[in-house]
Order: sequence, then structure tokens, then C-alpha cells
Amino acid sequence: MNTTSNNVSVQGVIANLAKQFRANIQTYAIIVAMIFIWILFAIATGGRYLSAQNVSNLIRQMTVTSFLAVGMVLVIVTGGIDLSVGKVAGFVSVIVAQFQANIWNKILPGQELLTTILSVVVGLGIGTLVGAIQGYIISYLAVPSFIVTLGAQWAFNGGILIVTQGKTIPANQPLFSWIGQGYLKPIAGWVVALGVIVLLFYTMFNSRQKKRRYGFELSPLYMDVLKTALYSVLILVYVVVVNSFNGVSIPVLLLAISAVVMAYVSNNTRFGRYAYAIGGNREAARLSGVNIKKNVFSIFVVMGLLCGVSGVVLASYIGYGTVAAGQGYELDAIASCILGGTSTLGGEGTVFGAMVGALIMASLTNGLQILNVPSSWQYVVKGIVLILAVYTDVYFKKNR
Amino acid sequence: MNDENTVIDAQVAKVNTPAGDDIILDFRNVTKTFPGVVALRDVSLQIKRGEIHGICGENGAGKSTLMKILSGVYPWGTYEGQVFIEGQELRLESSSIRQAIEAGIAIVYQELTLVPGITVGENIFLGKEPLERGVINWDKLYADTQRLLEEYKLDIHPQALVKNLGVGKMQMTEIAKALSENARILILDEPTSALAEAEIEKLMEILRTLKEHGVTCIYISHKLNEFFAITDTITVLRDGRVITTQPTRNLTVEKLVSYMVGREMTERFPESHRQPGEVVLEVEDLHAVDPEEPSREVLKGVSFNLRKGEVLGIAGLMGSGRTELAMTLFGEYGKITRGTVKLEGRPISPKSSRDAMMHGLSLVPEDRKRHGLVLIQSILRNISLPNLDRFATWYKIDDNAELKASRTFAQSLAIKAPHLNVQCNTLSGGNQQKVVISKWLMSNPKVLIMDDPTRGIDVGAKYEIYKLINDLTAQGIAIIMISSDLEEVLGMSNRVMVMHAGRSAGTLDITEATQERVMALATGIA
Repeated sequence: MNTTSNNVSVQGVIANLAKQFRANIQTYAIIVAMIFIWILFAIATGGRYLSAQNVSNLIRQMTVTSFLAVGMVLVIVTGGIDLSVGKVAGFVSVIVAQFQANIWNKILPGQELLTTILSVVVGLGIGTLVGAIQGYIISYLAVPSFIVTLGAQWAFNGGILIVTQGKTIPANQPLFSWIGQGYLKPIAGWVVALGVIVLLFYTMFNSRQKKRRYGFELSPLYMDVLKTALYSVLILVYVVVVNSFNGVSIPVLLLAISAVVMAYVSNNTRFGRYAYAIGGNREAARLSGVNIKKNVFSIFVVMGLLCGVSGVVLASYIGYGTVAAGQGYELDAIASCILGGTSTLGGEGTVFGAMVGALIMASLTNGLQILNVPSSWQYVVKGIVLILAVYTDVYFKKNR
Repeated sequence: MNDENTVIDAQVAKVNTPAGDDIILDFRNVTKTFPGVVALRDVSLQIKRGEIHGICGENGAGKSTLMKILSGVYPWGTYEGQVFIEGQELRLESSSIRQAIEAGIAIVYQELTLVPGITVGENIFLGKEPLERGVINWDKLYADTQRLLEEYKLDIHPQALVKNLGVGKMQMTEIAKALSENARILILDEPTSALAEAEIEKLMEILRTLKEHGVTCIYISHKLNEFFAITDTITVLRDGRVITTQPTRNLTVEKLVSYMVGREMTERFPESHRQPGEVVLEVEDLHAVDPEEPSREVLKGVSFNLRKGEVLGIAGLMGSGRTELAMTLFGEYGKITRGTVKLEGRPISPKSSRDAMMHGLSLVPEDRKRHGLVLIQSILRNISLPNLDRFATWYKIDDNAELKASRTFAQSLAIKAPHLNVQCNTLSGGNQQKVVISKWLMSNPKVLIMDDPTRGIDVGAKYEIYKLINDLTAQGIAIIMISSDLEEVLGMSNRVMVMHAGRSAGTLDITEATQERVMALATGIA
């Protein structure tokens, strides 16, 4: 059945790799672009860019907006947009800060663990509720998502000002700060990494086993092993690098979990499949028995939940609730999705791509900062890179 | 090369003498290759001035490649050989529609390309509005439109909004637009696939008028009888080759089909031995209104019954309520105001497609690209879309079970594709339709409603779909087949229900149904 894996030849391996590359050219192109950016900055900064401390920081810096990008992929895939995510996350962050600073100490003094958990619950709850309200208006009342979320952006900007009264609210209690600023101890980092790697290999063999039971042709074993090994090496490299500095950062871990869950949901559940079908052809999806309203509603609820996560991490990460919380994050999230290959026309896009897109944005910002490029020029460069990246994609699609 | 080619080459050599004055368009030894495929193989073809030249062939025979060379989609230099227009070589740059227009070529595509929100006149003069000191001269624009429409006897109001026109009049607008560019060669790419019988007749009249005005037409269609009604000359393409070019009067339908498929096709419809069983679906005095516009009644009393294992054909003109009936039964369009629908004796009233599916109804919709498929997705994803419930535990889809079941259907319907991850927009019309049918068969229907199932697909694929319909009825599935093609309705049905103005005008047993009787009922004169 799998004769190909029995006689592994060098040409065969190369041919298979080339095939794999062509099939996912878009994904690989963007990864190549990212590596190119890293090399460029590494040279320009004399190696400082790739130091353990900087890699750790760079990846940690991207987390807050990346939570938003994880949810944004599905929103854009269904043909919608969410312009409110930045301000909703900001709103959640100032509410949580308010609870941390002025409420818990009055009603639950000295209960740090409990109040931290409650803060998280409040944050996620508000995010989800906001998502549900917006989702209801968009799907059941049929107001375009662009309009609803633009309105919500303004409304929550107002909400932030109301809650903060224009002041900065401290949210720097030790346990709460751990969510956004904490690190796993090196040994814990290793345990997590090894656990994940074992799981990856188990999943791979398990899936081959199942396919064999169904009598399907399998891809060569070495290809699957190679792929899984590559992911494992990446995880190990990350852990080695960050352990030589502070360890695996908690928000990065949270982001990885969110991204993996959402990637799984988008591929392996009816909810995810329906989202892609709705974005690809709404009428065909409707006639195939897809409940479009319910599905679009659910997507905005999930988006809201992720705004909640982002808001809690934001409050904890910067240690304050501020007037400017979440300013412009929605555009970073959208740009990450687009860079990662999500089609603005709907129907196409992956969580994995959006994460690579977010990493590119973060890599650019971070590199320019190290080079002391003024923030005005950072914006100019980021804008040009976004347009250039999408143009490249358009160009290759046209000339394929 | 084999004998057949030598014969064809000899024919080509004979007509390939230096172009006389009466030759307006001349393809000389055009070859177009794509990686791994030869789309056109040494095609030589001459179109005479003022004639209506039919080009026919199965899907993939090379018709659209030929037209794409004329429109500049495949620019000069990407193909071998030469194309001459009135003795001048055509050298189009990449995708330059403008250049093609200037060369006098206009194409009316299968899918219309008008802007719906503006008027007929604005559409015709889009991009070349008459200006007066930089401002559009609306009076002149509408006067010119009027003159143009009158000259070619096109019955449209210049100031009508395009979105309010029927498909037939939209097409007239499209033709008027082409004529306003002083097109010398008008190419019609399956112009009748969306038209009803009466509109087709009207189009034929227009083409005759154009011919009187000296416009040359290239007419591409899958409906063979149209060639005999309108063309002077017919060219048959097969596998990228010109098989023959002959005056229409020398040809017959049988001869044409045998040229197209390369074999004698004695029967257009496969033989069937159906034995209808008990009644599955009963519809009585069904009335329904447009949900967007409750005062507009779209169904005004439809009654019929459907037996297990039979095909009930539904014939009727555009706007007779055929598609509305299908959508209403499927729970996706009309709001039922009166009447009953009974499935296996129990009254049902589907509120959504999901609801209808649960009851065992399936619908292969009229417009497979708009309603049937998610074109950017794979065959697999399309087939499984309405059936994910059966592959899912409370959250997870078993992708192995999904693939296995989809494969079974793809194989039994002979969908031609290397694997099921192929995107649907790369498939031919016939294969796309098979994907749509697969996805609905997987839902295990008792009643399968097919709305124009062979629209825009080639003769060979049609035959396969007909055979499939026979297989399904043999399994006991009851089929409602709506079709614009009268021969198809008469060739495939056990009984024919004719609709007129939202009503069932009559149901004929196949033994008593003739084209004349059906048309009489459909037009309301019987």
C-alpha cells in the first residue's frame, strides 16, 4: 500500500518536498519573507536582533494583538470585518483594572487568588457579552458588520473614557501581573515542550493508523515524520532560546493555546466548516442547510471572547488601564490576517497564516525600534510592507 | 498522425488559399498549448463576412480557448499560428479588451456583464459617454441609444434600469452595446442558456436583423437545434481540432452529434424501464407569495402528485413559477399562503433548506455556480457540506469517514478529477453538476428536485446525467425535473406538468405529451 515509503530515494524526497511546497506556496512564501526580514535585521543590528532577550520580547510583544487576529480570521473568512476589537479589548482592560484597583480590595480584601480569577472571569464575560450583542445586531438584525463594529468602536472609546475618567488605573498586583508578564520556570518550559512534542507524534501516528484502517493511501512516512520533527525542532529552539533568558512567557503560552484551539475548530468542526462555506458562497451555504444567522452570531461571540482574553492580558501586561488602551489594535489584527493570506473577499484564510502575519508585523516593529527608527517612519514602513506583501500575492496568483 | 488527420489536413489545405474579400476572420494553423494539455491543435478556420457561423463541440473541445484568443485573454505571442481580420493580422496585447473592440470584435458572454444599477443607455455608452465641455450630454446619449435600438429593432426603453429588465432584454442591451462599438464580428457565447423559449425566438429574430445589416456572428451553443434554426455554416471542434466546417443545410442533428462525440449517437436519451410505485409527494392547490413582497403571489394554485421511482417533468416558460415552486418546496423562498404539501401522507411545511432535508427533500438548484457550489472550495468540501451532521460527533468531524463517503459518490457518478481536493472552479460544467448532484444524493433523499440539471453542459455529460437519473429512479427515488429544454422533458419524464403564470396548467402522461401540446399549455392558449 505505501510502497513509496519503502524505497526512500533522494530524488523522491526532493520531489515530495517540492510538491508539498507548491501545494502550500502561499504559506511558505510568507515564511520565507519572514526569515528574510529576520536576516536583514540581524545584519543591520549586528546580531542583537536575534539575541535571546530580543526574540523573547519580540514574540511577547505580538501576543495582545494576536489574540485579536486569531478571532479576526474567522470573521473575515465569513466575509465580515470587526473594527471594534481594539476598543473592546481596551474597554475590557480598563474595567478589569478598575476591579483590580478599586473594587476587589473593598469587597474581597486579601483574597488575591480569588480576585485574580474573578478579574479574568469578568474580563472574558464582558468580551463575550459585547461579542454577542454585536453578533446579534449583525446576523439577526442584518446591519452590516462594518457599520456595527465601527459604531461599537466609537461607543467603547467613550466607554473607556467614562471608566477611566481620563486617569490611569493601576493593575499591578503580583498574581494578576503574572498573566501578562510571568514566565514558566525553565524546567516547566521543558516539560510543556516535551509534552507537546509527544502529543504531535502521537497525533501523527494515530492519524496514519486511522487512515490505514479506512484503506486510504498514505503520504510517505518520512514526509510526516519530517514535518512533525520540523515543528518539534521549532518548539525546542524557542524553548532553548527563551530559557537562556527568562523562560517561556505566559501570554505566549496562552496565545499558542488559543491559536491551536481555533485552528482545530476552523478545520474539524461544523462551526468552522460552515464559516468557510458562508464566506465562499453564502447562497450555496444557505441552500445546503447551513444556518447562516446562527453561525455568524457564534463567530462574533467567539471574537468577543478573544477580545476579553486580549483585554485581560493587556491590563496585566502593561499593569495599567489607560485612556489609550487598545488604540489601533484592530488594524494590526486585520493586517496580520491579510499578510497571512486571508482573503478580504471571504472564504479563504488560516489561523496559522494569521499568526505568521502577526509575527512579521511584530518583527518589523521590533527591528525598527532597535534601529531607533522614529515611530513616524515605522508606520510608513509597515504600511508599505503590507501593500507590497498583498501585491506580491496578487502578482503570483495572476502569473501562476 | 492517423488517417483521420490526413483527411482533415486535406480539407484545411483546400480552404487555406489566400483570403478572398469575403473572408472577414481567418485563423491559420493556430495552436495553443498549456502545460501538459494541447487546447488547440493546428486550427484553421475561416469566417465569411455577414454569415452566422456556429461553433459547436463538447466542453473542453477548444471553443472558449479560441474565443479567448480573439478577446486578448491569450494575447498575441502566447499561441502559435496567426489570426487575420480582414487581411490584417490580429496582434492583441495582454488582456486588452479595448484593442479587441477596436479591431471590431465584440463578445456577448454567457454571464452578462452589465452594471445593474444604471440605465440601458448608460450601460451602452459606458466608457464612451458623449461629452459637451467635459460634461456628459445626456440628451445626446439617450437619443443615440434610441436610434441604435430602433435600427436593430430592439424593444427596450433607453432609460430603463438594467436590474429591472428580464434576462432576455439584458442580453439585447448587451448586444446593443456591442453594436454601438461598431462591432464587425459579434460573438455570442451560449446566449440562450438562460433564456426561455419565447425569448430565444426573439433572439433569433434579432440575429436575422443583424445579418441583414451585414454583421458577422459567431454563435456558440450547446443547443443543437438552434444551429439549424439560425446558422449558415457550422464548425465542429473536438479535442482542440477542427473536425469539419460545413454549410448548415448539409448537416443533420445526428451527423452533428456524431462529429462532436466522435461516435454515432443513435439515442439522445438512454432507455429506461421505470416502474413508478406509490405516491410519495402530494401537492394540492399550493399558493405562495414572495416573502420580500407579500402582495406578489408567485404560486397561484399548483397541484400534482409524484410517485416513487418516477420522473415528473415540469415545463413552462421563464417566469411561469417553475423555479419558485422548487424553492418553495425546499423551504427557501415562497411563503405558503394556501394549500398543502404531503410527504408520504403526512403534511409538511418546510421552513428552511435544513428542514426540507430532514423530511427527505433535496434540490439541485438552477444556477449551480451561484446556488449549488462553493466554487473556491474542493470537491470534497462541497459534497460533504450539507451532510456534515452525519460525520460529526458533538463537535468533531470524522474526516476519514467524510472522505470515504464522498469518494463513493464521486466514483459512482464518475466525476473526472485527479483527487477530491481539486477546487470546483477548475472543473467543467458537467463535472460541477455531478458534484452538486453528489452532495444531494449523500443526504439520502426521497424526493430529488432538479432545476434545469443539464443547463450549459455538453452532450456527452448530459447523457451521463440522464443515465444517472435512471439509476436513481431504479433505486426508488422520486424525481422532479424542471427543464427549459422541451426535448429533454419529453425524453426523460414519465409525466409532464406544465406551468403557466404560477399555476399548474395541466399534467400530461408521456404517451400523450407532444411539444405542441406542452407549448400550448405553457403559453396559456390551451
